Amino acid sequence: MPATSATTTGPKTSRPVRKQAAPRARNGPRGGRKREFTTRRGLLIAAFMAPAAIFVAVFTYYPMIAGSQMAFRHWDLNDLTDTSWVGLDNFHRVFADPNWGTVLGNTGAWVIGSIVPQLVIGFALALWLRRRFRFRGVYQALIFFPWAISGFLIGILFRWMFNSEFGVVNDLLQKAGLIDEPVAWLADPHKAMIAVLIANTWYGVTFFAIMILAALQSVPDELYEAAALDGAGKARTLFQITIPYIRVTLVLTVLLRVIWIFNFPDLIFGMTGGGPNNETHIVTTWMIKITQQGDYGKASALGLLVIAGLLLFTVFFLLATREKREVRS
Amino acid sequence: MRRRTAALALGTAAAMVLTGCSAMSSNANGTVTLNMVESLTNPARTDLLKGLIADFEKQNPKIKVNLISPPTEQADQKIQQMLQSGSGVDALEVRDITVGPWSNNGWLYDMEKDLKGWQGWNAMTENAAKASEDAKGRTFFVPYGFYGLSLFYRKDLIKDAGFSKPPASWDQLLKQASAINDPAKRRYGYAFRGGANANSNVTAIIEAYVADKVDLANGYKLKNGRTIFSAPEALDALKTYLTLFKKASPKSSVSWGYPEMVEAFSNGSTAFLLQDPEVIATVSESKSISKEQWDTAPLVAGPSGKTVQPLATAGWGIAKGSKHKAETVKLIKFLSQGKASTDFTKKNSLVPILKSATEDPFYKTGPWSSYVTMTEHPDTYLNVSQPRGVTWWSEWEQKSDADVQKMVIGKMSPKELLTGWDAYWTKKWEQEK
Repeated sequence: MPATSATTTGPKTSRPVRKQAAPRARNGPRGGRKREFTTRRGLLIAAFMAPAAIFVAVFTYYPMIAGSQMAFRHWDLNDLTDTSWVGLDNFHRVFADPNWGTVLGNTGAWVIGSIVPQLVIGFALALWLRRRFRFRGVYQALIFFPWAISGFLIGILFRWMFNSEFGVVNDLLQKAGLIDEPVAWLADPHKAMIAVLIANTWYGVTFFAIMILAALQSVPDELYEAAALDGAGKARTLFQITIPYIRVTLVLTVLLRVIWIFNFPDLIFGMTGGGPNNETHIVTTWMIKITQQGDYGKASALGLLVIAGLLLFTVFFLLATREKREVRS
Repeated sequence: MRRRTAALALGTAAAMVLTGCSAMSSNANGTVTLNMVESLTNPARTDLLKGLIADFEKQNPKIKVNLISPPTEQADQKIQQMLQSGSGVDALEVRDITVGPWSNNGWLYDMEKDLKGWQGWNAMTENAAKASEDAKGRTFFVPYGFYGLSLFYRKDLIKDAGFSKPPASWDQLLKQASAINDPAKRRYGYAFRGGANANSNVTAIIEAYVADKVDLANGYKLKNGRTIFSAPEALDALKTYLTLFKKASPKSSVSWGYPEMVEAFSNGSTAFLLQDPEVIATVSESKSISKEQWDTAPLVAGPSGKTVQPLATAGWGIAKGSKHKAETVKLIKFLSQGKASTDFTKKNSLVPILKSATEDPFYKTGPWSSYVTMTEHPDTYLNVSQPRGVTWWSEWEQKSDADVQKMVIGKMSPKELLTGWDAYWTKKWEQEK
């Protein structure tokens, strides 16, 4: 079979491609029978795709478009007797809200403060798990376990762990002699932000560890052997072989995680509900709060701003990292 | 062959879409299926409801009820979405805080005509009959019970601190709680509410301080037409409340909501808790404190010796889009009277809607007796309607909760808070006119 040979033997790849291209050329305007065949085939494909397409259209795109138009209307769920068009009024109300600055700053702190420790610890874990040792599979399963738990549930668990009076965190710190009296973690705005970042780091390390471990397994052992023969130390091997080899995975994982963390209100909502005094709200928890007030117009405006912000970030991030990735490939 | 496959695929797709869009309704043999959605869901209550529904179905073999139980946190939003779509709901749980916006949007059916002359009204308490009518005399829901505040207290801790009886006023509460509070021993005076719904306890103390002046038809209004937040007594109330936090409450209670407050009392670390009767069942199961160690007392009063009982309620209503209103009315009547109603309030720890309940030994003894005391002394424990049905209630809750936290952490003074709240309600009432 040509296709099989194409995938198994590198130098012969050009021949099967040409063979496959030939029938396509014969299916051109000259062959009426062939065209009929193509239409029927297209219909068949469309029929198979229809359930998924209809499902996505009805349950994803329709709500998205419907939601978007709410951003330009007075849409208060507590009073739907007047849903007139208000132009950019909802956007103005978002920018004029006294919480907007705090929410933006918190979102930046939330994304950066989560990504950096998650990446560093996840990388270290992946390097450790790459080595062969007894019960490696069990350790891997245990480390990957948090990823299977709901973010909201983790928020509630950590809320109790960080409870000043009855939480295990203060208890352990006091027993270890690190603090004299209980720290009111969730009652102080700054400490509450630290607490949610610790919780998110614990949760997100797993994903980095999974992705980086998978990428590390693709680095050929010969490279490490050659580096060792050339006298490269551990740090040099890490920065000149491991990281450059898995750079594409790293870039895409960071990109995905930034988007996910940005859109991850569950944990903060379960842990602090955005408090105290609205000081731990990020954009998405704030959006939920506004939705709960029934102000769907303002919440939709905020939702559109989130989409626009993430699109811009993705474009800039991919452009900024393109050159390096191209050099690598 | 291919044509047949394509047809099959299209058919499957159409079937999937059509099945997804269809709603439950009556079938060929005349059996009607009602969709009923609950809001304040918990597993024990859902089982209880299913049992009551089974009894109803036995009595009405031509009616089946399909109970939908969304998780509590998102339940009201889910119900809103269902109501907005215009179909798919027959009976639903309507709360005093949702009836305003939902009826305003035309989503609820007025049962006034269907329930005219219904003998169930005669068996109901005055509170229940009153709560079932809105200002225009429309009946959008029939209440199933009430949530009211009482003071949970630790008998042993009070005695150890040298007090002979539980506090009857906010000042006494402050005194006793401060005497008991000792963070070094992990013992606290009062389970302060600073997180979700913090506004409710703040307004409770303000209402107690202005009890003599309050408008009985609107708990947020004085008899002179101004807001309760404008009264000088409101500032005294807030100062007492803030001192209660500083001298007698755990520091982290700035962020405490319902779970933390109940936990603090149930685990034996905190002496006083203001909560709804549903907490009786939770505390009764505590392994940290025995039944001899705790009890409940009536809600603490203001300087005048009076207080306002901020009763909250919920009940069963009908969606305007329902195609089976007559059958749904039947279901609501069944749930709102006799054994079904008593079972629901008893097992769900609610203040009952039926007059006969006050004679029931269940309500006359133990922690429940404080509720009977409050019901029997309406001159001291004033029965005042709360404006929880207004369309801006959820907006108010979010704003006021944030303000309470600001005040507690020192970013807003009590005076600033009261000025803001006074302006907020004055403006809303102006707009309503």
